[in-house]
Amino acid sequence: MSESAAETPADVFTAKGPASQDKPTRFFRRLARKPLAIAATAWLVAVSAAAVLAPWLAPADPLAQDLLAVKQTPSQAHLLGTDAFGRDVLSRLVYGAWPTILGIAEAVLIACALGFVLGLAAGYFGRWLDRAITQLVDLLLALPGLVILLSILAVFNRDMTVAMVTLGIMGSAGIARVARSATLNVRNELYIDAARISGLGDAAIIVRHVVPRIIGPLIVQLSLFAATAVLAQTGISFLGLGVQPPAPTWGGMVYEASQTITDDPWLLAPSGGAIALTVLAFGLLGDSARDAAAEGWTRGTRRGRRPAPSPRPTPSPRPTPGPTPATAAASPTAVLSVRGLTIVADGDTGERVLVDGMDLDLEQGQTLGIVGESGSGKTLTSLAIMGLLPPGTRATAGTMVLEGARYNLARPETLRRLRGSTLGMIFQEPMAALDPCFTIEHHLLEVLRHHGKAPRSQAKARAIELLELVRIPDPKDVARRYPHQISGGMAQRVGIARSLAANPRVLLADEPTTALDVTVQAEILDLLRDLSEAESMAVILVTHDWGVVADSCDRALVLYHGETLESATVEQIFSAPQHPYTKALLRANPHNAAVGQPLPTIQDSLRELLDDHDKETVA
Amino acid sequence: MIPAPALLEVKDLHVTYGQSRRREFQALKGVSLAISPGETLGLVGESGSGKTTIGRAVLGQTPISDGSIAFDGEDITHAPRRRRKELGRQLQVVFQDPYSSLNPARTIGQTLAEPLSTDPSLSRDAIRGRIAEILRRVGMPEDTAERYPGQFSGGQRQRIAIARAVIGRPRLVVCDEPVSALDLSVQAQVLNLLNELQQDMGLAMLFISHDLTVVRHVSHRTVVLYRGQIVEEGDAQEVNDHPQHPYTQALVDAAPVPDPALQRAKREKRRARRLASATA
Repeated sequence: MSESAAETPADVFTAKGPASQDKPTRFFRRLARKPLAIAATAWLVAVSAAAVLAPWLAPADPLAQDLLAVKQTPSQAHLLGTDAFGRDVLSRLVYGAWPTILGIAEAVLIACALGFVLGLAAGYFGRWLDRAITQLVDLLLALPGLVILLSILAVFNRDMTVAMVTLGIMGSAGIARVARSATLNVRNELYIDAARISGLGDAAIIVRHVVPRIIGPLIVQLSLFAATAVLAQTGISFLGLGVQPPAPTWGGMVYEASQTITDDPWLLAPSGGAIALTVLAFGLLGDSARDAAAEGWTRGTRRGRRPAPSPRPTPSPRPTPGPTPATAAASPTAVLSVRGLTIVADGDTGERVLVDGMDLDLEQGQTLGIVGESGSGKTLTSLAIMGLLPPGTRATAGTMVLEGARYNLARPETLRRLRGSTLGMIFQEPMAALDPCFTIEHHLLEVLRHHGKAPRSQAKARAIELLELVRIPDPKDVARRYPHQISGGMAQRVGIARSLAANPRVLLADEPTTALDVTVQAEILDLLRDLSEAESMAVILVTHDWGVVADSCDRALVLYHGETLESATVEQIFSAPQHPYTKALLRANPHNAAVGQPLPTIQDSLRELLDDHDKETVA
Repeated sequence: MIPAPALLEVKDLHVTYGQSRRREFQALKGVSLAISPGETLGLVGESGSGKTTIGRAVLGQTPISDGSIAFDGEDITHAPRRRRKELGRQLQVVFQDPYSSLNPARTIGQTLAEPLSTDPSLSRDAIRGRIAEILRRVGMPEDTAERYPGQFSGGQRQRIAIARAVIGRPRLVVCDEPVSALDLSVQAQVLNLLNELQQDMGLAMLFISHDLTVVRHVSHRTVVLYRGQIVEEGDAQEVNDHPQHPYTQALVDAAPVPDPALQRAKREKRRARRLASATA
């Protein structure tokens, strides 16, 4: 072991961070990479250009009638044919784009300005302002849009501009809701607090920190609203309210086409097609914008809580890469043995090894600690044993012998039967492991019913028994409660009770006490130890805390970037750690450090230890 | 006890959350503490003890029901917004979560310039110089200022957050669980950095943590908080090694030590106490 470590340069452990990609691509650049977004934008730009440049673009006067050439299909002279009065359809279409585009622009601008300001103010300032704005928005959403529009048109003598402004005001409600919820999300970020503590004013915080983060969802909402505005505008024109015939409008053209639909069906195609394409373009643009925004979150530029473990810097040359028949013999006394477990992540650049040929043996009634820092693969190992690896990762090799039966870890579906029966599991976030909709008793009964065929009354008694077993005071009362009515420590006890329901032989505990207070942690660790003794249940305890290892484990296995550095009894690990990394990690613990002295960091320790190692080998 | 006049003095602080009287929750019930210039005060407690609330109250982030907070002799309990803005340069903060505390859409340089932006006397070049200087000081590479938070690991982000806190040369930094989200190996580096900065710049620190061993390592004095009240206060080493209050004792007993033999003894003691209390 120490040989391979000596070849690991000390600077491997300096945190270099996840492989630095190029600058996180901004929203618009991501959007510009989507072909559908480009096509949609191109169509919308073309329609807008046509609307503005109609007098120069249109081949003919849109009002000029030619009664000798009515209801024609497309030809050289009339590219899109003619209508019932022999007017050139293409020219009418081009001229008709103007009121539509103008109407959309009016509605969208009003909706955007009003909705953005209202939503931002409600989300950012909160309190009474939020309550007032939310009520207003609810009111706007409750109004029947079409009826309002028609009455506005009646009152204002069919003025399209007034109608579209009204539509914009009503549409602002939806925009405001989106802006408000996006702002609420950002508002809770700590960097907003930090900016405020640094003395920045609200205006500066909003411009620098809030607006850039809510612009994505807003664009999505706006483009969807624009699509609605197209339909509203053309709908009004179709009814003949708004712009008066014979002036060309898209909606009016649809109306004209509908009058001659039996003898000239073609006439519907240009106007109907233009409307459909425009609505589609806005919809697609919104879709692409949503995807582009979502990529921003999921690319890990935001909460890359666990920066994807970088590929192992220097894969130390192992004498025997991968599982070999020599190591493949499982320990005969072990209740659980794993050989050659290899887990990979599928990435853009091919497979990345996250856990490399891991072996472990768990003796009956013992507790094995899997120790490592983030990215070491300790959680993945426990998940692989349960067959619950997260999407994007998979086990490519590995066999497990559990109570004499062999399982292939690369085929997780074969492990399904074991989960919750022979293998139990508890998690780091006890509250997240319970469904808030159901009582504690329901959670336990669910598992009991799944595994045993006991009648209901018996199962209920067993549920109370389980809660007693995990030392919950007044179990009958707790059984009736919902998860939010109990504390975190209590929730973890319920989690343990649930995993005990089927008398598992092995319990996997993934950082079971990390989220808990120390006094509660001590109780839970005591409980796990007593249960393991009383039920002769073996436990795999995944942790990063050396104190927990010293407290609860019989053996420990140290993982670093997916490689097992050493595996020994707890006494050996603490008194005579073999691997420099283990030594360094133990020394970095403030518990062992002299007060007033800098803590020995991993880099310092490794440099020192490697120097010593060199001297020894030279001597 | 305190030779120099206190830099921060909190007197009989009460903070109550909740709108209606029936559902209100008393987060702090009369807490008094003082920090001298250049001193680190450790604040230890479990969840719900009110330790974070004290930090937020000092920073003006939470309304105060009763009591007073004085900074450098000036009462800032209900300081108006304008005064708070100016205080921003003297009173800073480092949060627990290094991911949420940096805006992913802004470069490190933009983030670091923020605390300096309230000082009109600084030119652009001066700000750039200060950023380069502070990045060097916290051990980050030179091109950091042009990069985005997404390109750094948790430990590096915490260094950047510390750089943001100290770039304006504050006199007091509130550290709210600054190493709890970090790996052990990174935790040591960040603790060392905080200690060095504290000594070099003569910073006073309010170091909030749930971990007594971490607090012992960085603090001069320790205050133990339980359900919104101080139960014990004293020399950091003393509180850790010879706790007086039963709650502090329980806290020390419960914290597992990285030594199997010692920990076994601790565990047996704990078990005996539990059995005794169960039969009693």
